[in-house]
Amino acid sequence: MASRSGSFVRNLAPTVHVQAVGAKLGPNGVSLVSTGFADLDKVLGGGIPVGGILMIMEDIEAPHHLLLLRYFMAQGLVHDQPLLYASPLTSPQAFLGTLPGVVQAKDDKSEIEGSPKHTKGENLRIAWQYRKYFNENQSIETHKFQQPELAPFSRTAKSSSFGGGLTGNKYEFCSNFDLRKPMERSLLNAINVECVNLQAISDLSVFHERCTSFLSKLSRAQGGISQIGRIAIQSFCAPQCRHSNLDWEMLSFLKSLRAVLRVSNAVAMITFPSSFLTPLFCTRWQHLADIVLSVKAIPDEDKELASLLTDYQDMVGFVHVHKMACINTQVPTILEANTYSLKLLHKRIVVLERLNQAPVDASSGESYGTVAAAPLCSRSANGSVLDF
Amino acid sequence: MADSACRALRDGVLAGEHAPSLMISDSMHTTAGLSVFNYFLRSLVSNISSARAQAKGLVVVAFDRSPDFYVKLLARAGLDTYSHSWFQVLDCYTDPLGWQKEILDNVKSDIQETSEISKEHISHAGFTVCRDVGNMESLMSVILTSGKGAIGSQGKGRFSVAIDLVSIMVRHLSLPLVANLINNLRCHDEISSLMWLVHSDLHEPRIVTALEYLSSMVAVLEPIAPLSAASLKLKGDPDKLAALEGNLKKGKLRLRVKRRNGRVREHIEEFTLEQADVKFSAISHGKFAVSGSSNLPQVQFNLQLTEKEREDRARVILPFEHQGNGKELQIYDGRKGRSAWRASPVSDSHPVNTDPNFNAFDASKESGRGEIHYIRDSDDEALDSDEDPDDDLDI
Repeated sequence: MASRSGSFVRNLAPTVHVQAVGAKLGPNGVSLVSTGFADLDKVLGGGIPVGGILMIMEDIEAPHHLLLLRYFMAQGLVHDQPLLYASPLTSPQAFLGTLPGVVQAKDDKSEIEGSPKHTKGENLRIAWQYRKYFNENQSIETHKFQQPELAPFSRTAKSSSFGGGLTGNKYEFCSNFDLRKPMERSLLNAINVECVNLQAISDLSVFHERCTSFLSKLSRAQGGISQIGRIAIQSFCAPQCRHSNLDWEMLSFLKSLRAVLRVSNAVAMITFPSSFLTPLFCTRWQHLADIVLSVKAIPDEDKELASLLTDYQDMVGFVHVHKMACINTQVPTILEANTYSLKLLHKRIVVLERLNQAPVDASSGESYGTVAAAPLCSRSANGSVLDF
Repeated sequence: MADSACRALRDGVLAGEHAPSLMISDSMHTTAGLSVFNYFLRSLVSNISSARAQAKGLVVVAFDRSPDFYVKLLARAGLDTYSHSWFQVLDCYTDPLGWQKEILDNVKSDIQETSEISKEHISHAGFTVCRDVGNMESLMSVILTSGKGAIGSQGKGRFSVAIDLVSIMVRHLSLPLVANLINNLRCHDEISSLMWLVHSDLHEPRIVTALEYLSSMVAVLEPIAPLSAASLKLKGDPDKLAALEGNLKKGKLRLRVKRRNGRVREHIEEFTLEQADVKFSAISHGKFAVSGSSNLPQVQFNLQLTEKEREDRARVILPFEHQGNGKELQIYDGRKGRSAWRASPVSDSHPVNTDPNFNAFDASKESGRGEIHYIRDSDDEALDSDEDPDDDLDI
């Protein structure tokens, strides 16, 4: 699931790395920030690149983009990062109240694992005499593939010497959130949290001023340890906003935001209902973003889907990755799978999983070929799986 | 089912959420939109009048028909709304832009006589006339005042709003303003539920999508027999004529409900227009259209093991003499008698049998009683011999 970086690893001077809370060094000298959602971080290859925009195309029938926004903002608050939140809701503050709180995971260690290669070695039982060779190899491999630690903080959350007033896992790259637990009040009332009501804004240039002033404090021109800011814009072209029919203005706003972001230590997450834009503008918006995801609703009680996928009952939506970040490199990242299912476990944790095909009933005599081919071919209105 | 939509409108809003909104969308091919709207309106009125609904009052914003039409419609259905204050109709039909008033004012100033045609704010039967439809704020405030009047002086109740034809509203107000209005109505503390009708082929797709975005239930009316424009040349074709006539009386209702967990439930029903009434029935002939297209190009087989499978796999004894736990494992080599073998001590409790036909590494037989069969070819040779291929298994 992780993107495969090639065998060439760029040898970069350590000054490129942004020494800030909540950032880690990713491939090609780019610093990454967590989305707050561990599975999504894995899919995106570590996180959102600093200075990049993550765009989520909403489905007008499902509110899953709010879930991703909540994780994003909650992670920013836990890491004490400045946050600018804009939304067409009449009271954006109320949305802040729905952010999930952090839980101490019991099995911390398993979450902070290295690459999959490391874990595979442990699960494989080797014939006795080869074990001594394997142990030597393993130490080399873990050294090469291990994710860099969050310097300078220690990895195990339990023994953090920078605890301060909060618990030790404040400095984990990606915290564990529990949707049922509300975020601590003290974090919500932090001074560096700003809210903007998109409906009340008469002109996009006003909003642009707001964003620029927010980002000016995070400019990259100042060296040294800095903070990484987060901008979260929800439903940017929602029909109730006055600017929603000003296509070109919205586009130029996004262009200038992107320009300022590139020279700041900040990331932006923008969600928009893509069905409102004409295809022309939808494509232009996607070009401006570094990462593009889309969330789709799942039809309820759809028997065909239920027979095709395992765990259909647990799924609440699909997440599709359209575009991956390609900063400082010419090599695009190609994922093994582009569509993931969003599941809500015990109403408190959300996971992203690859789609698994349900086992075909052997007694019915169908081969795997017909069942697998049916969704790949166009779905006719007949609905008969065997016809193709 | 249409009943589920009626129930949702009746039950109203839960605290902290947006009000349930039903959008009815029809097109030229099936002109049953207004009948279906009336059906839902009648059910809502009957629920309110019998106090089964959360709402205590109803405001009908009438763009397309005069208020009298609604009073008579409901009277025909046996619901007496004439003298009740909880039923309010906002009359945006007679004089939406205030032109009549202007003309009459001018006439008055010219002729200097009091006109018989009074243009007071209250038309007969006590319904408010709205003369400034193009102003969103004033429209909103008039709706809210009517609503407050509908609830009465208790103050704490909620009321429902039914907008006759949003298509006409879009004519007067731009899309962001209409969306703003509907959104504000949905978020308002005193609104229990909301419903509206729109003619989808009058607008750009963007407008219809915006209205779908703002609604929690969408009812799309489709013709039973879809006819394209080309096939509308009906000269002497009795089948097509019959199909067209069928479209006038029958149709298909496709209701999409957004559920709170993010899934979308779709119901398809057939409806027949009878005299001033609509009857819904389940779809008579077979094919359910597949709802939406699911993007599932990369479905993989589940290669993960469940917990039980993992435990079973851990219990499988591999056919090596040394398992790494310091003890030697005797492996039956098929030469000694079985009883003799059983007498010899075995370090592990799991018997390891031999059977030349068995695949030693068949991991699919992990059931805790798994049997691995292993025959050593080279027992005849002395240990530590150079020709022993299994040399390195003995340490």
